Amino acid sequence: MIQVEQLHLTFGAGTPLENHALRGINLSIPEGQFVTVIGSNGAGKSTFLNSLAGEVIADQGQIFIDEQDVTLWPTNKRAGLVARVFQDPLAGTCEALSIEENMALALKRGQSRGLSRSIRSEYRELFRERLSRLGLGLEQRLGDRMGLLSGGQRQAVSLLMATLQPMKILLLDEHTAALDPKTAAFVLELTRSIIEEQNLTALMVTHSMRQALDVGDRTLMLHEGNIAFDVQGDERKGLDVPDLLALFSRNKGEELSDDSLLLG
Amino acid sequence: MSAIAFFGAIESGLLFGLVAFGVFIAFRILDFPDLTVDGSFPLGAAVAATLIVLGWNPWLATAMAIAAGFAAGALTAWLNVRLQIMNLLASILTMIALYSINLRIMGKPNVALLGDETIFTPMDNWDLPYYLSAPLLISAVVLVVFVLLVRFMTSETGLAMRATGVNSKMARANGIHTGRLTILGVALANGLVGLAGALFAQSQGTADVTMGVGTIVVGLAAVIGGEAILSTRTIARWIFACLIGAVLYRLVIALALNADWIGLKAQDLNLITAVLVTLAIVAPKMKQNLSKRRRGAQ
Repeated sequence: MIQVEQLHLTFGAGTPLENHALRGINLSIPEGQFVTVIGSNGAGKSTFLNSLAGEVIADQGQIFIDEQDVTLWPTNKRAGLVARVFQDPLAGTCEALSIEENMALALKRGQSRGLSRSIRSEYRELFRERLSRLGLGLEQRLGDRMGLLSGGQRQAVSLLMATLQPMKILLLDEHTAALDPKTAAFVLELTRSIIEEQNLTALMVTHSMRQALDVGDRTLMLHEGNIAFDVQGDERKGLDVPDLLALFSRNKGEELSDDSLLLG
Repeated sequence: MSAIAFFGAIESGLLFGLVAFGVFIAFRILDFPDLTVDGSFPLGAAVAATLIVLGWNPWLATAMAIAAGFAAGALTAWLNVRLQIMNLLASILTMIALYSINLRIMGKPNVALLGDETIFTPMDNWDLPYYLSAPLLISAVVLVVFVLLVRFMTSETGLAMRATGVNSKMARANGIHTGRLTILGVALANGLVGLAGALFAQSQGTADVTMGVGTIVVGLAAVIGGEAILSTRTIARWIFACLIGAVLYRLVIALALNADWIGLKAQDLNLITAVLVTLAIVAPKMKQNLSKRRRGAQ
C-alpha cells in the first residue's frame, strides 16, 4: 500500500527559474494495483516518480509505504521497498560489468552486502532460469559485458533485475520510450506478464495514451504538478484516447492537443 | 645493464605496483582523480621510519603506515562526499596538508634508518645476494595484496564499489550507499600507497618529505601502460596488468638511464615519466584516427 499525501516540491525556490513541479499530489495505491501515468512535458511525471524513488525529497507532504513514513529516506535506504527501471537503457545497468555481475548487484537490492563472493553457482542457475524466459539466448552469455547488448535487450534485463527481489512498488519510468516500436512492444508485454505473475504493485509513467490504456488497472493524468484525472475499474474500461482528452478538458476546462501528449 | 640495476628496477617496479593498485582503485574503479597519493606515499614512509627508529617492530610500524594512508584517503573522500568539495581539489588539499603533517611526524625533513631493524633485516642471514632478498620479500607482499584485492573486488561489497564508480544512480537504486563506498575505496587505495611508502623507506634506508613528488604520475603510467599491453577483460587480469605495467615502466626507465648514448640522467626521470604517460594516453586515439583516415582514403 502506497500512500502519498499533499506532496509539494519546488525546484530553485526563490530564483527566477523557480518551478513548482509538484503541487499537492494525493494518491493511494492499494497492493497489487498496476497504475499507468500520463501527462505532457513538464506535468511532473518524472519528478513524481523520482520523489517516490527518493532521488528528490519533497518540500512538503508525506509518502508512506505500508504505513512506514519514508518521506525523508534517500534512494539507497528505500531500495528494499522500491524497485525501478529507468527510461535510458544505459542508466539501469552498468555497461562495464558483465550480465551476471549486473544481476548479482540487483539480487542484493535492499540487503546488506558483505565480503562473500558476489557470484555463486546457485545465483548463476537463478540468472539463467530468469534470462531464458526472454528467449534472447542471453542465458548463454552470462559473462558478456552489458555494453555488448542492444538497448531493448538491456531494458529487458533491467526489468528482470528489478524484479529479482520482492518490493513494495515497481517504478517504470517511460522504460519503453527509447526503444523501436517492435522492441517496445516486447518489453511492454514482458512488463505486463511479470507484474501479473508476481502480483506486483506498479507505477508506470508512459508518453503514450494508447499504452496507458492497454495495460494496467488504473490510469492517472498529471497536469501542472497535480492529478488532472484518475480513472479505474468500469469507468476505465472501453475508454479510448479521444475519451481521455475529453476527460481532461472536462476536468480542467482547457483544451489539450493529442500531439503534446504523444510528444511529451 | 648490471644484475644490480636490473633487480633494483624489479624491486621498485614491484613497490610501485602497490601504488598502481591504489591508483587503479581510485581512478579506474571509483573514477575519482586522487592526488592524495603524492602525500600518502611519503606519509607511509614517514610513519614507518619514525616508528622503527623509536624501536617498534618493523611489521607493526608498516601496519601503522597502512592505517595512516587509509586515514588520509578517507579524509580526501570525506571532503568530497560530505563537504561536496570537487574530488580533484579535495585530494590536493589533503596532499598539501600531508606535507606539513609528514614534517611533523618526522620532526625533520628526513629520517635515516641506519642499523635499525627493518622487515628486510632477517633476510641478511639468508644465503642470497643482497640485491635479491629485497625484491623477493616485496614480491611476496605484493602477491598477498594482489590476491586479497582480487578477492575483494569480486565480493559483494567490491562489486557494489565497482557499480558506484561506473553508474552511481543505478547503484543507489539498488540500495548501495555510494558515499560510504567511495570513502572506503579511496581509503583503501591510499592504505596501499602508504604500504608502498613504508616498504620503500625500509628498502632504501631513508624517508624523505620530498619523496612523494610525482608518485601519482608513476602510478598512472603503470596503470595506463599495463592496460595498453595486457587484457583487462576480467578484474583479476586488469589488476595484474597494473602490476606488470609498473614493473615494465621501471625496467624501461632503468634501460633508458643505463644507455649512455641517449644522454639521459637520473634528474630527467620525471620528464621521461610525463612524456611516457602523455604518449600512452594519446597513442590509442592516434591509432584510431589513423585507421579512420585510411578508411576514408579508400
